[in-house]
Amino acid sequence: MGTSLAALAWRNLWRHRRRTLITLASIGFGVFFAVIFTAIGDRTYGDMIDLAARNGGGHVTIQHPEYIDTPTLSRSVEGASALAKLALADPDVVRVVPRITGNLMIATARKSTGAGFIAFDPALEDARTLSILDAIEEGGIFAASGRPGIVLGAKLAENLGVRLGRRVVYTTTDKHGELVQEAVRVTGILRTGTEGLDAGMALLPLAPFQTTLGYGPDEVGQVAVFLGDQRRAHRVAERLSARVGDRAAVVSWDERSPELAGFIAMKQGGTQVMEVIILLLVAAGIFNTLFMSVMERVREFGVLLAIGFTPARLFAMVMCESCWLASIGLIAGAAITAGPYWFLSRVGIDVAALADSQGQMEVAGVGMEAIRAGIHPENALWIAILALAMTVLSGIYPALSAGRVDPVESIRVA
Amino acid sequence: MTGTTIVEVRDVTRRYTQGRVTVDALRGLDLDLQSGEFTAICGPSGSGKTTLLNLIGALDRPTSGTIRLEGHELGEMSRRERSHLRRDRIGFVFQAYNLMPVLTAYENAEIVLALQGVPAAERKARVVKLLDDVGLAGLEDRRPDELSGGQQQRVAIARAIASEPAIVLADEPTANVDSETAETLLDLMQRLNRERGVTFLFSTHDPRVMARAGRVIRIVDGRVETDERH
Repeated sequence: MGTSLAALAWRNLWRHRRRTLITLASIGFGVFFAVIFTAIGDRTYGDMIDLAARNGGGHVTIQHPEYIDTPTLSRSVEGASALAKLALADPDVVRVVPRITGNLMIATARKSTGAGFIAFDPALEDARTLSILDAIEEGGIFAASGRPGIVLGAKLAENLGVRLGRRVVYTTTDKHGELVQEAVRVTGILRTGTEGLDAGMALLPLAPFQTTLGYGPDEVGQVAVFLGDQRRAHRVAERLSARVGDRAAVVSWDERSPELAGFIAMKQGGTQVMEVIILLLVAAGIFNTLFMSVMERVREFGVLLAIGFTPARLFAMVMCESCWLASIGLIAGAAITAGPYWFLSRVGIDVAALADSQGQMEVAGVGMEAIRAGIHPENALWIAILALAMTVLSGIYPALSAGRVDPVESIRVA
Repeated sequence: MTGTTIVEVRDVTRRYTQGRVTVDALRGLDLDLQSGEFTAICGPSGSGKTTLLNLIGALDRPTSGTIRLEGHELGEMSRRERSHLRRDRIGFVFQAYNLMPVLTAYENAEIVLALQGVPAAERKARVVKLLDDVGLAGLEDRRPDELSGGQQQRVAIARAIASEPAIVLADEPTANVDSETAETLLDLMQRLNRERGVTFLFSTHDPRVMARAGRVIRIVDGRVETDERH
């Protein structure tokens, strides 16, 4: 029916085709920018958190209650198998691995240097939990048999002047705070492209290292817990904490990596401010279009009131125009966004040109090779709701103005 | 073919205040209109013709006095009730046609029936016949900018009478058209008055309208000066 409110509103919208198209474009590009910025943030920060979790202590870490304040190797947790079993019972947990992390001194006959280390069980871990395993460019990880050995970052090996198969001596403190030493052969060299890792990371096999430190066979530095979705880290940490009790502390990744958490929070805050500004600008454009359109039709509104429209019906008609704008604008936004989003999610933008000599951008010790997009569905839904709401809200004042038209005045003056 | 009294105007005044200037557009005006009348209100500019039409049309409220349409006291009605009264019982024809530019001739004529909630099939039957009656058969799908001034005014007349109102208020309906078109429009309205019993009340300066009217009321300075039936 041509005279229904929706049909009338639709036709009114296209009286000034160019103006409507410009408004729709502004809504569309507003949605585009909001989605792309959010998607890049969601994917980038999610990847950074996952990477930090894989090369650190997982999304959630079960560790000694005092480790967070005094991170020494004497702060260990016993009963790692039971803790791992308990963690795996949580529906959000996908993998659990025991680890020991800390610092040591590595020396050759001529040189010595400090480094961080991760001692892990090669039978349990691969790149899904320890992503730097993918970066081994020479040799390999120590045999699963648990023979002593060490994997060094490429820059670290270069600084020490050692190659594959050469012996180094590492020194650290054991469970009781005593200095302990072990001579091991370099079984692998890894090159991640991240300066911090290449120049200061060593990998050790868990079992022999436990013996070196005087740990029991079920005693580790931490139980690293990996989740299917890193955003559930706090909830999982709370649940596990309740189950673990006083035996150990359960901390989420952001408590272990406050620098990374702070960086992400700051960037997300900036993105949200920018999105609000974009949406406000879009809302101003829509308001302008609708208000102009109402002001131009004052005489018509007077006539419509004369022939029996109620002020409420006029209000509804203008709101209907606003809803049309919102709906088509959202569709336009989806159409504009689809292609670039697909490209960014599948291909991404190579950041090598912006990066350091190794071709990676490093933030808080986490290296990124490309900018990619991947929006969380609830964020996409929020953007759609916000865009719709702002468009519809922008129509309220013009619609109220239409409802307040004085028919006598408008028909006489116009 | 006149019948019952449908409009009663009693001691109506309408005072406008703009800044420090106060204008009395109507000053204690009394008037009765019967159904089926073909009445012209004339008088010099500013005499109160359009003000009277606006008051009878429930578009405006009197400063004092009462106006009844089919027994309903307009001053006591809410804004919504007045909207519904206009929709159901009053038709308007304006000097500048005032059709909805985004609607076709058919849709413009149909809009009041749609507002009333008349079923689509009934609307179609009534509007097609009505447009045929006013000489617009075949032009149903044209928009106002594709019609001549006379044709637009015919659509406006069709819109005004589509809901079979108690009265059609026409404010200078022939002022924007040439003589020939004006005569044709008057022929049409007179025929609708005769054949359908539609009550018309015009405000006009046009001597042709006054010559055709069955009753001519002359207003001067907001009061009825003369009231003549032909």
